[in-house]
Amino acid sequence: MSHIFWAEEIIQKAQVETTCATGRKMEIGTLISALLTLFVFSFLYKDNPFYKFAEHLLVGVSVGYFVVVAINTTVLPKLFLPLFKQGNLLYLIPGFLGFIMFLRFSPRLSWISRISLALIIGAGAGVSIPAFMQAQILTQMKASMLSFTSFEGIVVMAALCTTLMYFFFSKEHKGWLGRTARVGTWFLMIFFGATFGYTVMSRISLLIGRFQFLLGDFLHIID
Amino acid sequence: MRIDRRIIFVLIAFSVAIPLIFKIGLPNRVTKEVRMVYDAIDELEREEVVLVSFDHEASSLPEIKPMADAILRHCFSKDLKVISFALLAEGTAIGDQILRDIAAEYEKRYGEDYVYLGFRPQYTAAILGLGEDLHRVFPEDYRGISTSELPLTKKIKNYNDISLVISIADGDLPSYWINYAEARYHQRLAIAVTAVMATTYYPYLSSGQIKGLVGGLKGAAEYEILIGKPGMGGKGMDAQSIAHLVILFLVALGNVSYFLGRRNNSKGTG
Repeated sequence: MSHIFWAEEIIQKAQVETTCATGRKMEIGTLISALLTLFVFSFLYKDNPFYKFAEHLLVGVSVGYFVVVAINTTVLPKLFLPLFKQGNLLYLIPGFLGFIMFLRFSPRLSWISRISLALIIGAGAGVSIPAFMQAQILTQMKASMLSFTSFEGIVVMAALCTTLMYFFFSKEHKGWLGRTARVGTWFLMIFFGATFGYTVMSRISLLIGRFQFLLGDFLHIID
Repeated sequence: MRIDRRIIFVLIAFSVAIPLIFKIGLPNRVTKEVRMVYDAIDELEREEVVLVSFDHEASSLPEIKPMADAILRHCFSKDLKVISFALLAEGTAIGDQILRDIAAEYEKRYGEDYVYLGFRPQYTAAILGLGEDLHRVFPEDYRGISTSELPLTKKIKNYNDISLVISIADGDLPSYWINYAEARYHQRLAIAVTAVMATTYYPYLSSGQIKGLVGGLKGAAEYEILIGKPGMGGKGMDAQSIAHLVILFLVALGNVSYFLGRRNNSKGTG
């Protein structure tokens, strides 16, 4: 962890200034960011080598960053230091289980990795099933049983029952079941509409962020 | 009728850029769910401990940063103690930067008023581990200092010493906080998520599993109104509203075009 922190400190201290189009001083990092943003935006016109370069750079940097963080925060402090510095041989067991995961790359030996996978799946299921039942099913069921005297309670109950009916596939959706399931689809459509609206908002927010950067930090047109 | 998609891109670009340059000042209303987060923080006593988890990646920064800025400003203005970390690797450096910047604004001292613990992989294990012993999950902070030596963290054992957890996320990590911290340890939890994730968490708001929800740039703008400190959220809301109007216009135009085309076709065949 400390290695990463100090590396970031060094990068911050080493920031180089250059002169931007408007004659103001700017950090070299801002210039690179602006250029890469424009490279990515160029895809909106058509696919081109500049976009490809930015895309590959993003993937490479992301993977590189993740690998460095994983080594510094997991492999070194959680395996190598206890094993080699403190001499705790118990760490050989998780180390071995981790190592055999890599045997998946060998078609002949990949079956051995199932031992680690079985442990992960078993422990994961054991931990998550009771918590999931409590948080996602029991508490949610309790919350959906609102008072029928309120308009909100009636709407929630109607939406819950009709939507569940839509997902009941053991009987053909005809007659009363068909009509109820159809009402359920209306509630689903409302949910999809709200989700789509929020998705549009989210994507526009990302665009606003880039424009704020380009117009502000890069061109100094806005504050 | 056919419109070249590049014309739509240019329209959207102008609808975002022009309101950013020429401020319109469209009104923004504070919603109940954002006020609930504000109230959850505001009702805490001075020096109570808040845990802020940066559960996001770098790509969602334009939405995450305004929310994180506003929430941290509120925490520091209330003299709350902030312990923070990241459960996704890409959020590690971003979380550190945001925390340091906002703490500097309020002249807060590292180790006493706030601590950054860095990244911890395996979020399920980390969230559960915090219910037992913080020092076991985070033996050292981001700078490599022992958490048993830092004045703020040395007196923190587990969730019993933490008044509120705030997950600032761009994915489904708040679900893990709900499953493991809220359901198992009854930890008070508030979330700030990107707009695309907001609808997923409304059922948890109704059920009381989360104490409030800040959703995307709009949520950030609302929070800035509540704390009375304008920031990046409010600045972007004019552009957001105008861009939405343009999209609505384009959706309407597409529908009108479709129905006119269908009517013309039926006349042609009839």
